[in-house]
Amino acid sequence: MARSRTGFWLSVPVYAAVVALCVAPLLILLAYSFFQVSFVAVLKEPTLKNYVRILGSETYRWLILKTFGSGLMVAAITAVIGYPVAWFIAKRVVAAKSAFLTLLLVPLYTGDLVRIFAWRMLLGAEGVINTFLMAIGVIREPIGALLFSSLATHIVLTYNYLPFMVLGLWLAFEALDDRLVEAAADLGAGATSTFRRVTLPLTLPGLVAGSLMVFVMVVGDYLTPQLLGGASGVTIISAINDLFGTAFDWPLGSAIAWTMLAILALAFAGAAIVISRSSLGKALAAGEA
Amino acid sequence: MIAADRAKDTSGLGNSPLLQGIAVHKDYGGVHAVRGVDFRIAQNSYVTLLGPSGCGKTSLLRMIGGFEALSSGVLELDGQSLDGVPASRRPVNTVFQNYALFPHLSVEENVGFGLAYRSLSKAEMASNVESALALVQMSPMAKRRPRQLSGGQQQRVALARAIVNEPRLLLLDETLSALDRRMRKDMQIELKDLQRRLGMTFLHVTHDQEEAFALSDEIIVMNNGRIEQQASPAEIYRRPATAYVADFIGGANLAPGRILSVAGETAVIDTPLGRFECPSVAGLQEGDKAVLCIRSELLRLQAGEGGFEAVVTHTVFRGAEWLVEAKTQGGIVISLIVDEPEPPLVGSAVRLGFDPARGWIVSAPTEG
Repeated sequence: MARSRTGFWLSVPVYAAVVALCVAPLLILLAYSFFQVSFVAVLKEPTLKNYVRILGSETYRWLILKTFGSGLMVAAITAVIGYPVAWFIAKRVVAAKSAFLTLLLVPLYTGDLVRIFAWRMLLGAEGVINTFLMAIGVIREPIGALLFSSLATHIVLTYNYLPFMVLGLWLAFEALDDRLVEAAADLGAGATSTFRRVTLPLTLPGLVAGSLMVFVMVVGDYLTPQLLGGASGVTIISAINDLFGTAFDWPLGSAIAWTMLAILALAFAGAAIVISRSSLGKALAAGEA
Repeated sequence: MIAADRAKDTSGLGNSPLLQGIAVHKDYGGVHAVRGVDFRIAQNSYVTLLGPSGCGKTSLLRMIGGFEALSSGVLELDGQSLDGVPASRRPVNTVFQNYALFPHLSVEENVGFGLAYRSLSKAEMASNVESALALVQMSPMAKRRPRQLSGGQQQRVALARAIVNEPRLLLLDETLSALDRRMRKDMQIELKDLQRRLGMTFLHVTHDQEEAFALSDEIIVMNNGRIEQQASPAEIYRRPATAYVADFIGGANLAPGRILSVAGETAVIDTPLGRFECPSVAGLQEGDKAVLCIRSELLRLQAGEGGFEAVVTHTVFRGAEWLVEAKTQGGIVISLIVDEPEPPLVGSAVRLGFDPARGWIVSAPTEG
C-alpha cells in the first residue's frame, strides 16, 4: 500500500510534464480553433466557422494536400535511396560500421540553416553545379530553376531527412538473420523471390518507422521551403505562421493545425491497423506473447 | 534386415554414389578449413560427418548446400558437377542448426515455402504440406508462429520444411545439439526411422559421437580439415584408421611404440606396456613408429602373472560398472571398465591384461 503510494508520488512529475508540455498546449490550441476574431480581439464564442472556412477554401485545401504530398514523396525517395545504403552498412561493412553511421549523422550536427545555405552555394545561378556545367560546356546559361524552386526544396528535404530513414532501416537489417536468407535460397527461392518473401517483409517495420519519421518531419519543415522554394515556398506551415503572426488570426491558425493533426492521426491509425493485420504484425504479436 | 543391406551398400562401390567429392578444398583467406578431401555418399544411406568444432565439417556441408564456393576440387551429385549451381537450384535441402524458420510465416506457410517453386496446384501444395506436418507429428500446430513453439517443435517444422521438397540429399547441420538430452535421444530415433521410411539420403553434421553411432550407416570422421576415416560405426570403433580416430571415438587407451615385425594382418609392437602381437592397419613396416589401441572394456584386472602393472588414480561409479583410471610406470594413463561390486582402492597397484587378438595397431600420428 505504502509502496504503491510512493510509486504514485514519484511518477507525478512525469505526468505533470506530459500534461504541461504536450496535452495542455494542444488543448489550448483546440479551444482557440473554435473561437473567432473580430478586428484585433479574440471573441471567445464557440463556433465551427474556422473549420468551415478551411474546408471551403481551395487555397488551404491545396496547401494541406501539397504538404502531405511532399511528405509522401520525400519519404518514398528516401526509402528508395536509404534501403540499399542501410543494407550495405548492416550487412557488408564490418570494421568501419560506426564510422559509416557517424558520417551519416555528421550533417545533422550542423543545424538546418547551415545546411540550407550550403545547398544555396551548390544550386545557385553562380553556384557550384551551374558553374561546373557551364565550364564543361553542357549549358551556356545557368539553370535558374535549380534554386528557389520546388525541385530545390525537395532535393534538400531528401538530403536532410535521409539519415533518419537509413537509421530506421539499418536497425531492421541488423535484426535480420542472414540464415533466413540462406534458408530461402536453400528452399529454391532466387534473389527476387527471397527479397519479396523474406527480406522485405522482415525489414518492413524499419521501413514503416523510417517513413513515418521522414514524413512527419517533412510535413513540419518550415525553413527549407521558405529559404529554397522561392515562389513555391508557401506551405501550410508558413500559412499557419502568417496567421499567428501578421494576420493575427489565431483561431483559424489553430483550426488548420488541428485539421493537420487529425488527418495525421487518422493516417497513423490506419497504418497501424494495416500492419497489425498483416502477417508481420501477427508475427510481432506472437513474439510478445 | 533392410538396414543391414543398406549398410553394405554404403561403400558406394559398384553402384554410382549419390554424392561424390574429389579433392574438395576450401580456404578462407589463408585459413585452410577443408584440405582436399575425397568422399562418396551412397543413395539411401544415413551418413554423419563427425568431428570436433573447427574440423571443417560445417564448411564441407555449406559447400554441398551451395552456400560457399569451393576453393578447388569437384562436388558431383548424381554424376553431375555442382559447380556454378546456386543453392536454390540444387536438389538438396538443409535443416539449419538454429532451424532458421521464417518468423513472419505460420508453420504451414514455412513448410510450404519451397513448394512455390514447383509446378503444383494449390490443392497439391496443401496436401503435401499436410502430410509433411503429419510425418513429424506437427499437424495440430499448423497455424502457429515459430516463436510460439518449443525448440523440439521448431526442429520438427524445420525438418518438415526440408523433406516436403523431396530433396535427393538432406543436410542436417548440428540439428539436435540445441535440444536437451532426453529430446535428443527421441529425435535420433525418429530421424533414423524417417530416413528409412522415406528412402532419402541424409548427411548429418555432428560433434557428438554417441549421436553419430545411433544414426549412421556410415561415419565420416574429420579432423583439421581432413577426412580421417569413412566407414561403418562398427568398423570405426573396432578398426580405427588412425590414432586420432581411436582416441576421438570412444577414447581408446593409446600406447605409443615401435613395430618389431609384421606378419600378414598382424604385427608385433614394443610398447612401455610390453610386447604384443595384435591385428594392425595395412602398410606398417618393421621399425615404424606405431600406436597400440586398447578399448577400456577389453582390459581386465589380472590375478597372476603376465600383463602390466599400474596404480589406480581414480574410480568413477557409472551405474552398471566402474570406470577405473590407472597410471603405468611409463606414465601412460589407462582407463578400464570394472564390472564388480567394488572397485580397486585408489592408490593400490593392479595388474592388467587383455586379449591381444582384440587389440589394434595404427601408425603413429605424423607431426603437425
